[in-house]
Amino acid sequence: MESHVLHTAALSKRYGATVALSDVSLGLAEGEVHAILGENGAGKSTLVKIMSGVVQPNSGEMTLAADTYRPQSILQARAQGVATAFQELSLIPNLTVGENLLLPRASKTAFWPESRSGILRRAAGLLSQWDISDITADAIVEDLSLAERQRIEIARALSHATRLLILDEPTAALPDPEWLFRQIKRLSSRGIAVMYISHRLGEVREICQRATVLRNGNSIDTVDLSGVDDDGIFSMMVGRSPDSAFVEPAEVPEDAQVILGVRNLNVGKVRSLDLALRAGEIVGVAALEGQGQQDLFQALGGVIKFESGEISVGGKAAELGSPRRAINAGAGIAFVPEERKTEGIFANLTAASNITLPKIDQAGQAGIVYSGLEKNFAADVVAKVALSPRYLDFKVGNLSGGNQQKVLLARALITGAKCLVLFDPARGVDVGTKQSIYAMMRDHVAAGGTVLFYSSELSELVHLSTRCLVIYDGQVVANVPRAQLTEERLLAAAHGHNQEMKIAV
Amino acid sequence: MASIEITSPHRPRTLPSLRQIAESAFPIIAIYFLMWVVYGLVEPSALSLYSIEALFNNSLPLMLAAAGATFVILQGGFDLSVAGVISLANVVVAVMPMEGPLGGVANLAMVVAIGLLVGAVNGFVVAYLRIQAIAATLATMIMCKGAALLILKAPGGFVSDFMAYELTASFFGIVPIAGVIAVAIMLFWAVFRSTNTGRSLIAVGQDENAAALSGIDVARTRFTSFLWAGAFYGAAGYMLAAQTSTGNPNGGDPFLLLSFAAVALGGTAFGGGRGGVTASLFGAATLMLMQKVLFAVGVSSFYTGVVQGAIMILAVLFSAFVLAVTRQRKSR
Repeated sequence: MESHVLHTAALSKRYGATVALSDVSLGLAEGEVHAILGENGAGKSTLVKIMSGVVQPNSGEMTLAADTYRPQSILQARAQGVATAFQELSLIPNLTVGENLLLPRASKTAFWPESRSGILRRAAGLLSQWDISDITADAIVEDLSLAERQRIEIARALSHATRLLILDEPTAALPDPEWLFRQIKRLSSRGIAVMYISHRLGEVREICQRATVLRNGNSIDTVDLSGVDDDGIFSMMVGRSPDSAFVEPAEVPEDAQVILGVRNLNVGKVRSLDLALRAGEIVGVAALEGQGQQDLFQALGGVIKFESGEISVGGKAAELGSPRRAINAGAGIAFVPEERKTEGIFANLTAASNITLPKIDQAGQAGIVYSGLEKNFAADVVAKVALSPRYLDFKVGNLSGGNQQKVLLARALITGAKCLVLFDPARGVDVGTKQSIYAMMRDHVAAGGTVLFYSSELSELVHLSTRCLVIYDGQVVANVPRAQLTEERLLAAAHGHNQEMKIAV
Repeated sequence: MASIEITSPHRPRTLPSLRQIAESAFPIIAIYFLMWVVYGLVEPSALSLYSIEALFNNSLPLMLAAAGATFVILQGGFDLSVAGVISLANVVVAVMPMEGPLGGVANLAMVVAIGLLVGAVNGFVVAYLRIQAIAATLATMIMCKGAALLILKAPGGFVSDFMAYELTASFFGIVPIAGVIAVAIMLFWAVFRSTNTGRSLIAVGQDENAAALSGIDVARTRFTSFLWAGAFYGAAGYMLAAQTSTGNPNGGDPFLLLSFAAVALGGTAFGGGRGGVTASLFGAATLMLMQKVLFAVGVSSFYTGVVQGAIMILAVLFSAFVLAVTRQRKSR
């Protein structure tokens, strides 16, 4: 039997009536990269929180290097060599990279502050130690892109992990995992265990040796990744055999009605952009990071005002300018934004209230909203996104990420808008939720609607789109029809001139 | 699965960005000195040592109160107990005057201790029992005001000569002591904000969850902020007694709203995480100076409130505008 760095036995955790973990037992060996796999809501986040000292388990045992391990706080976990890079990025936006790396004790001395240069020097040492050369220690975190913040978050965990490193969806915002994999290999060569949580099976196979599958708060099994295929893992995760993830999209006739027409649009980075979405089309958008796709989507959703251009919805000219106007414009445009945590949900309202919000006047009688009416009213769209109705009474903040995304999509659907504008709708959600989202999109266009969606995953674009637009430097540089749609073709088109680029496959 | 990224190296920055300047105390300091220029032009006698000293003495209690409130507001909290603590400290000093510099220090220690006690209660109830700050500090405010009325039923009492005359004078006849105290607090803040406690304060105000995941003890940070606030309110009541030479059980009431106004004018965000004590000190000083300027220009005192409010809105709009402009540039 190999020596375990960390071992858990029968861990369980309840939040009120909700059982998040009921029985998780696993062992992490020295120098091993161990994947934790499971659908959203399977208990992965709770397991991470328990191991990193954020919450305490109701029962069960953990041992770390043969000692009982029961961290009461993040600092206690760190003191014992367990450090975590959190999925929800724990950086303070208006502090520098250096200060964030060294928190909570940015200054070595307690009562008198350490000099700015001293802090920067120590932080710069950490950055170079972890091979980060393109971010300086005095950069303010809010000026960094999501991917850069993610690397800082990981670097901080790397420098504290002397026994166990926990990575919770480290590549959700990290387009190029090569840097991360190099650091992971450095750690495991020193005998440090790495717990790797990711939805991306390809990555998991590349970097991990073994995987433990969680389902409904139970650890199902720990398997050698070389001895099991993707379908095998998938059926362990969901407890059934997998449906085919992608269905060939239907052909759309040339003369189908144009639902959303955009002419000569200028907004933010977007320059003179034309666009026509026909009924029955799922139009994908591929782009490198920061090519204006955010501006385009937010302008269509009415979140930002555009400088000039004409937009027609359902054949009628539309003034957007606010999400409400976008929803009410002609056939309607419903927008689902990128950052669901900050831009989308009302964490303290129930799922039913969140969903019915755009049509709140129809969810009540005489101006009073009744929760029963809300639920009835929401039932139809809830079925379309395959959200289990039992979640309707839950506060959205207590739902898993995938279910939160379903709530957001249901809210977009309830507006009755024919045009859905979705920014990376399946980012960071599990395989099961992804399929529900894809099915919802296909059903929507089959019923005469249209969908415009951006995705950071090329495979998603290739399999889901009826055609795919490539945006580069604020302009549509390619309109790739279904027949020519391959990842290589999209990559080539997204690749501009004189751009330094990293490609990860 | 494939995805793509452009790398964009961040170069070391040499000059502070426009946003950093706008978020610092600089705008309010500029407004303050601009107002002095206006004041000097319309009322040349205003630049005499006597009137400068009087103005500083007038402003100091509000400055201290605003400084205290800033500690709580920075971490994203709210503290109404300011009115109660100032009243209580004011009457305690007035019924127990102690002569001489040592007596002055003893008096100060007493009221700071009272402030710390109230702050500890606020902090415990808000940070550890997780009661809403408005409810908790409203309760302590009412308690303190009640206690002040128990100690002194009506305005009266007297303060020591040391406090009434020497604390409100000037060093060597030219440097107002009130001004020295204000500068000392600014220096203190310049150091404090870079300590681990100071950074924690800003981090908790910015993003409580991220701060907790970064290993910051959120509850302790909250608790500490109320302690600092209480100590400053106590000192504010003390300086109010020195300035008025008397005790007033309702003396703290005007400070409740004015201290929030001063903090807002200084540019500290009520949501927490952005701003600082120096900005609030200048916000308070500007508020008091504005009254003088308006009086000097001949604006009826009935309009003072209207003008003050309007200028506050302008100040808040200004910082929102700068933030919006710099954000937009960044997105380009």
